[in-house]
Amino acid sequence: MTRSRVWLLLPAAAVWAVAAWLLWRSSLPAYHLPHLDEHALFPAGALQRAQHFSDVERLFWLGKTITQLAVLAVFTRYGVRWMRESAAGPIGTGMLLGMIGFAFVWAAELPFGILVVWWRHRYGLSGSYLDATVTNWFALGAQFVLLCIALGIVMGLARTRGIGERWWLLAAPVFVGLRTLLAFIAPWLLGGRAFHAPYVEPLQRIQHVHVPVRVLSGFSEPNAAATGLGASRRVFFWDPIVRPPFTPRMDRFVLAHELGHLAHNHIWKSLGWYALFAFPLALLLALATRGRGGMGVPEAVPLAIFVYVVLQLVALPLQNVVTRHLEAEADWSALRATHDPGAGRQLFRLFASETLEDPSPPWWDYVFLENHPTLLQRIEMTRYYRASVRETGHP
Amino acid sequence: MHDPHPVRLVVEDDYRRTRLTVFFRLLLAIPHFIWFFLWTVWIAATGFVNWVISIFTGRPRPWFHRLMCGYVRYQAHLSAYLSLVTDPYPGFMGEAGSYPVDIELPEEPVSQKRWTIFFRGLLFIPALLVASTLGGLNGGNLGSTRGRTRNSTGGGTLLLVCALLGWFATLARGRMPKGLRDAGAYALGYTAQTTAYLLLVTDRYPNADPTEMLVAVTDRPPRHPVRVVGDPYDLRRSRITVFFRLLLALPHLIWVTLWAIVAILAAIVQWFVTLVRGTPARALHRFISAYIRYRLHVNAFLFLVANPFPGFTGAPGVYPLDLELDGPQRQNRWKTGFRFVLAIPALIVDAALGGALLAAALLTWFYALVKGSAPWGLRNLSAYALRYDAQTNAYLFLVTDAYPHASPLEGEDTTEA
Repeated sequence: MTRSRVWLLLPAAAVWAVAAWLLWRSSLPAYHLPHLDEHALFPAGALQRAQHFSDVERLFWLGKTITQLAVLAVFTRYGVRWMRESAAGPIGTGMLLGMIGFAFVWAAELPFGILVVWWRHRYGLSGSYLDATVTNWFALGAQFVLLCIALGIVMGLARTRGIGERWWLLAAPVFVGLRTLLAFIAPWLLGGRAFHAPYVEPLQRIQHVHVPVRVLSGFSEPNAAATGLGASRRVFFWDPIVRPPFTPRMDRFVLAHELGHLAHNHIWKSLGWYALFAFPLALLLALATRGRGGMGVPEAVPLAIFVYVVLQLVALPLQNVVTRHLEAEADWSALRATHDPGAGRQLFRLFASETLEDPSPPWWDYVFLENHPTLLQRIEMTRYYRASVRETGHP
Repeated sequence: MHDPHPVRLVVEDDYRRTRLTVFFRLLLAIPHFIWFFLWTVWIAATGFVNWVISIFTGRPRPWFHRLMCGYVRYQAHLSAYLSLVTDPYPGFMGEAGSYPVDIELPEEPVSQKRWTIFFRGLLFIPALLVASTLGGLNGGNLGSTRGRTRNSTGGGTLLLVCALLGWFATLARGRMPKGLRDAGAYALGYTAQTTAYLLLVTDRYPNADPTEMLVAVTDRPPRHPVRVVGDPYDLRRSRITVFFRLLLALPHLIWVTLWAIVAILAAIVQWFVTLVRGTPARALHRFISAYIRYRLHVNAFLFLVANPFPGFTGAPGVYPLDLELDGPQRQNRWKTGFRFVLAIPALIVDAALGGALLAAALLTWFYALVKGSAPWGLRNLSAYALRYDAQTNAYLFLVTDAYPHASPLEGEDTTEA
C-alpha cells in the first residue's frame, strides 16, 4: 500500500471511529450485572431440554455454514464454466453466475433445513417441511432478484468509464439508500390487523412514540418488531405473543420494548451501522476481486460471492455486538416505562420454555449467533433495575 | 434426422366450405356423435383385450389392428369435419383414403417391445398432456375416465379455437383461412398419433414437430414480416439451469413486465402517429421491436426452447432463437384504427398456443433434466407457439399490419423452424 493511500485511509478510519462512537452512545446506565445461576432461575428439566435442543441446533448451523463455504469455494474455482450458458452481456452473465452460485448453496443447505424441522418436531416445536422445501424454493427466487439488483448496481458502476475500480465509493451509498427506502416502505407492505389494549396509549405517551400497533398472523414463534421510518413507523406483534400463555402484562412489556427501539431511533442507528459496515466491506470486495479483473467482469462474480459470505461471517460478531447493545437499551427503556421487572422476568423465562432458547449459550454461540442479550442477561437486567430502584428510589 | 413417423397426416383440402353445412355443422354431426360414442365403448373393451394379448405375443392381432386403425381414422375424420379442417360429411367406418383429411397408418401390425406395451397407459400420459392442449376435442375423450367425455384442459385448446374462429371466418368468406386450417390439421395429426400409440397401432411415440407433420401435405404460408430465426438442432440444455429455470428467469420476468408497461404507453402514442401519418414513427418502432424481441428471448429461455440466459436489452443477433423484424412500413389506416378489436382472434389463438407451450415446457423440463437435451418435437412446437406470440404482439403493438399467421409452418424464405 502506498504512503498516499495510508494517509487517505487514516482520516477515513478516524471518521469511522467517531461515527461508531456516536452511534454507540445510548441511555444504558454504566452497570455491572451480577452473575446469575441459570439453575436457580429455570427448572432443571426445562433448562436441560432447552440446552439439548440448542446444542444440536448449533451443530446444524455449523454444518450449514461449513457446507455453504465449501460449496462457494468450489464454485469460486469452477463456477466460471457456466459462462457458456449465457447469451447475455457481461452484467447478465455475472447475474447468471451469481444465481447459479446461490442455487448450489440452496441445494446444499436443503438437507439442513429439513433436519431442523425434524429436530423441532421432536421437541414439539412448530416447523413445516413444506416451508423448508417448497416455500424455501420461492425464497430463493426472491434472493435471485435481490442478487441481480445488487450485481446490476455493482457491475454497472464498475463498468462505467471514470469509475472502474472505485465503484465501491458509489455502490456503498446506493445500497444504504436502498436499505433506507426498504426500511421506509416495509411496514406498509407487511399489513397486519390493528391491536387494541388499554395499556397501548399510556405506554405511547410515556415513550413519546405514537405509532400504530399491529398484529401479523401466520407465524408460529412468539416475537415482535419495531420497523419503519418517520410516517411509516409501526410496532408489529407476531400473533402467538398475544395469545396464552403470554399474558397482557408480558405483552405490555414487549410493547414497551419495541416502542423503546423507536424512541431511541434504533432503526436510524441500524442504518447508520449498516453504512459504517458497507464502505469497508465494499472496499474489501473490490480489493479481493481485483485479481480476477475486478467487479466489471463476470469472471469475478463467483469469487465476489465467496468473499462477501466470508466477510459477512467475519463481521457477524461485530454486528451482533451492535444489535445486542440496541436490544439491551430497548429492554432498559421497557423497564423504565413499565416499572415492571417482574413482567420482564416472567417473559424471558417463558421464552426459554416456549422457544427452547438456551438461557446461557457457549461463548462461540454468543459471538456468532446471539443478536439479542441472552435470556440470563436479560433477567439479570431486570434484577439490576429492581435493585437500583430499591437503593435510589428511582431508576 | 430420424425416420418419418408411421402415423402420417394426409390433407387434400381446398379450403372451400359450404356455408350452409358450416352453419349447422354441430347439428349435422349428431349421428356421428352417437356412433362415435358407441365405437369408443367398443374400442375401450376390445382395446383392453388387445393389450392383454399383445403383452404376451409382442404384436397385436391383425383383426384388432385393423379395428384400431379404423377407429383412429374415423376419429380424425370426425374431428376434421367438426373443426372445419375439411368440408365433406365423413363416412362412419373410418375407411382409408375416403376423406380429404386422412391418416396413413401401418397396414400390418408391427412387433413392439413387451414392456412398452405393458406400460403403455403410463407412457402415454405425456403425449396426452400435449394432445389435450392441441386437439382438445378428442384429447378430452382420451383423457377421460369411465368413458365420460370432457375436455381435460377445460377448454381453450388449439383445435377448438381454430374451429370456433374458423366458423365465423368461413361463414363470412366461404373459405377456411389457411392458418387456422393448418393449425387444426396439425392438432388432428398429433391427436391421431397419440391415439394410435395408445391403441398399440404403433410403438413410435407421437412427434409434436409441426414441420414434419405438415411440410409434405400443405404449402408454406407467405413470408411474414415477423420471423423467428435460429438453429432448430440446438437441443443441448444445461441441467443445472434447467432445474432452476423458473427462478433464474425471475429477474427477466420483472424486467419484461416493467418494459411492457412502457411499451404499452409507446404503442398508444404509436397508434396516434400511425393513424395520422400512415407510417409508424421510426424511434418508437425500434423501441417496441426491441421489446418484442426481448420478450421472445425471455419466453424462449423460460419455456426451455433455448438454452442460454438471455441479455436484458433485446438486442438482435445475440440469442439462439431470435426475431427478425422488418423496418417501419406503411400501414392501412383502417387496420390501424381498429387494431385492438382486430387482434382479438389472434389473441385467442395465442392463448390456446400458450397452453401447448406450457405443457411442452413442463415435459421438456423433465426430459432435459434426464437427458441434458430438449426433445426435438416439443422444441419445435414451442418455437411455433413463440413465433405466433411474437407475431401477435407485433400486430398489436403496431410494428406491422400483417396479421399473425396461425400455420405451424414457417413462411417461405425463412431459415428456421
